[in-house]
Amino acid sequence: MGISLHNITKRFGPDLVLDDVSDEVPSGTLTALLGPSGSGKSTLLRVVAGLEASDAGHVVLGGRDVTNVPARERRIGFCFQDYAPFFQMTVFDNVAYGLRVRKTPKAQIRREVDDLLSLVRLESFADRYPRQLSGGQRQRMALARALAIKPEVLLLDEPFAALDAQVSAELRTWVRSLQHELGVTTILVTHNQFEAMEIGDRLVILNQGRVEQTGAPSVVYDHPANDFVYAFLGPTTTWGRVPVRPHDLELCRVDKGTAVTVTEVVRLGFEVRVVVANALGVPTWVQLTHDEAQRLDPRVGDVVGVRVRVAEFAALSRHAQDRPVAGR
Amino acid sequence: MRRSFKGLAVTYLSLVVLIPFAALVTKAFAGGPAAFFGAVTQRESMDALGLTLLCALVGSAVNAVAGLATAWVLVRDRFVGQGLLNAVIDLPFALPTVVAGVTLYTLYGPSSPFHVNVTGTWIGVTVAIMFVTLPFTVRAVQPVLESLTFNAEAAASTLGASSAHVFRTVTLPVLAPALLTGTGLAFARAIGEYGSVVFISNNLPYRSQVASSYIYSLTTSGQTRSAGAVSVALLVIALVVLTACGAVSRRLTHGRR
Amino acid sequence: MRRPSRLLRFVVLAYVTALVGLPLGFVFQRVLARGLGSLWAALGDPQMDAAILLTVKVALIAVPLNVVFGVGASLWIARHPSRATRALDAVIDVPLAVSPIIIGLILELAYAQGGWFGSTIARLGWRVMFSLPGIVLASVFVSLPLVSRQVIPLLREIGDHQEQTAATLGAGPVRIFFTITLRAITWALAYGVSLTMARVIGEYGAVLIVSGNIALVTQTLTLNIGGNFENFNAYQGFVGASLLASASIAVLVVLSVARHRERRRHGHLTA
Repeated sequence: MGISLHNITKRFGPDLVLDDVSDEVPSGTLTALLGPSGSGKSTLLRVVAGLEASDAGHVVLGGRDVTNVPARERRIGFCFQDYAPFFQMTVFDNVAYGLRVRKTPKAQIRREVDDLLSLVRLESFADRYPRQLSGGQRQRMALARALAIKPEVLLLDEPFAALDAQVSAELRTWVRSLQHELGVTTILVTHNQFEAMEIGDRLVILNQGRVEQTGAPSVVYDHPANDFVYAFLGPTTTWGRVPVRPHDLELCRVDKGTAVTVTEVVRLGFEVRVVVANALGVPTWVQLTHDEAQRLDPRVGDVVGVRVRVAEFAALSRHAQDRPVAGR
Repeated sequence: MRRSFKGLAVTYLSLVVLIPFAALVTKAFAGGPAAFFGAVTQRESMDALGLTLLCALVGSAVNAVAGLATAWVLVRDRFVGQGLLNAVIDLPFALPTVVAGVTLYTLYGPSSPFHVNVTGTWIGVTVAIMFVTLPFTVRAVQPVLESLTFNAEAAASTLGASSAHVFRTVTLPVLAPALLTGTGLAFARAIGEYGSVVFISNNLPYRSQVASSYIYSLTTSGQTRSAGAVSVALLVIALVVLTACGAVSRRLTHGRR
Repeated sequence: MRRPSRLLRFVVLAYVTALVGLPLGFVFQRVLARGLGSLWAALGDPQMDAAILLTVKVALIAVPLNVVFGVGASLWIARHPSRATRALDAVIDVPLAVSPIIIGLILELAYAQGGWFGSTIARLGWRVMFSLPGIVLASVFVSLPLVSRQVIPLLREIGDHQEQTAATLGAGPVRIFFTITLRAITWALAYGVSLTMARVIGEYGAVLIVSGNIALVTQTLTLNIGGNFENFNAYQGFVGASLLASASIAVLVVLSVARHRERRRHGHLTA
């Protein structure tokens, strides 16, 4: 069940939150709606859900124009960032809510909810209340609740933002495989570019209410449409006034590259950042893998050489000359 | 459906609040501003207003302190009967004013078992006001105190400040806005209080009559224009005090940040 | 952090007991001092019985009216902030700061014979002053904000994500209200309804003016108590007072339970 967005525009008072946004979400994919705070991504998600009305434009779900259809009738599943658990009901009743609205027979409800709770690994929590659940568990409950009504589209608003790093990472992988298994067309809103690239089949990058670029994560990363996308998707540093990726630079012998002095070495476990300054004092940082760093062992005060990794430099100059058109 | 509710709500409110108030203001000024001020500055009126303001002021002030202390004990202490104390604080909200009035009169009046007779004095009226206004200050401060973490206070202590100093410089400023709002509400309630004060005040014109009793006597004797005038005066005082307390309270909150 | 000193605790307990506990205990002491026989006889007093009946009637009309209005207005104010709803909020809060005597006066000015609507009402054959509608009106006025003051802050704090989620799951507005909203505000509502009930049956000053205090016809229980005292029937007055005091205690119990439940739900009090 694909989603088509045509020219969605939305204003809140004087602010233009969504500016003529259009997109085609292919059926069965997980699209990450990515952008900084205030880019309009959550608003767009709510417009797709029918929780917010756009000022102009159309939302088409599976060929059906639902622009004037209330949320209740759009057959979508929605998960808020705060999970919005129904605190006054047990986990079972939470998940069963949508089924009860549809007057599903009791036995069937029992079966389907039990299946869903197994799917999200909350079987033993059926009679607990949401306040007794951790953040990650509430998230899984919210997903089960949304999936109970067998939605044609699943909409997730920053689902991992409130969780700590480890839980978030586990949950991300799990949601990814769940989505693959069920094949539900999913849109996930996030401001975290790594999260988006990790689990998204495709990315839609929003900035100030406009779509900057769409495409598969690797494509967008390697062929950014403009400076905003380039800077937003990954770490950047400057080298000779050109923005480059720190991992496109490497340390070498002084005579093999430009001479610089190491001013700082930051060890992050899996990666090591070496901050260097050239003769004029202009800083740049170079990203080394753990093993490279062990091998090279840079120290503060060392005078070393920095150069661009050859293959990437070719790509870089291609960049400067002909930038791909921003995907629409 | 929403539109019809809006219409109903507005009608309901108009009948209950807005129209009667309009009638009051119209009536109060029916004889022109001169008559208005004349009615308010009558000796009997000034005496009543004076007594009312004095007792309301003293009563609210005492309960500002007592309310703070009570909230403190309810939040920071642990003892048997604490739950009971917490429940009893609401009694003046729940108890009819006339019950309080007749009981206080019997307790502290001519047939007092303690042989204390404060009828007809400003003290008697003030005690009644203290009874009625206690919950206002306690309940205003309590939630603020409960959501206060000890961090700032602990930090101050580690810097060498004594408990009293910590209280004065760290805790009190945080509680001040809520305390002020609560006291303002208490004062507004106190100046209009009737049922609990009318018995113990003895109601002697010029001597021990509170403003609400004066307005009542004017109303029942048909002098509704004067009654309206004094009522408007009383309402204006309440409005001024509430607005002032609210403004200072907001100032204090913003100043902190 | 050091606990408050024992002295402070003692002073506070003494103050509250003397100021609040003592009068309450005294009411019951006076009533029981003459024995159960006298109490039984006094409970059968026709004037007081009529007053009790009237008070119950008024409560049965005024409390539901204000609860429905209160919940509806709270939903509107909390979920649709705008200049209009802010004004509504302010108007609803007015009765809190107005003396009951003034409330009686302004109702008289609006609805009595010589008042603004006096002639219209008379032409329609209705009576407001000195009859049940007037007493209900006065009761509604004085207790107007009591429900919304509890419910509005809670609705704001909870937010509407649960309600929106329920909508996406297919629930209509009525179902959402009864299954989600109402269940979320249950205890705050209980708190507000109890206070409303207490205020309605305990109102004195406003009803004094509006009802005319006609014994057996328009005399509520509070007026009955006051009247007995003025006529030196102190014992009869105390018997009536003990009935209302008992009702107040019942209200306090509900308030206490509601507060406790709310605290369990989120960790601090709403008063």
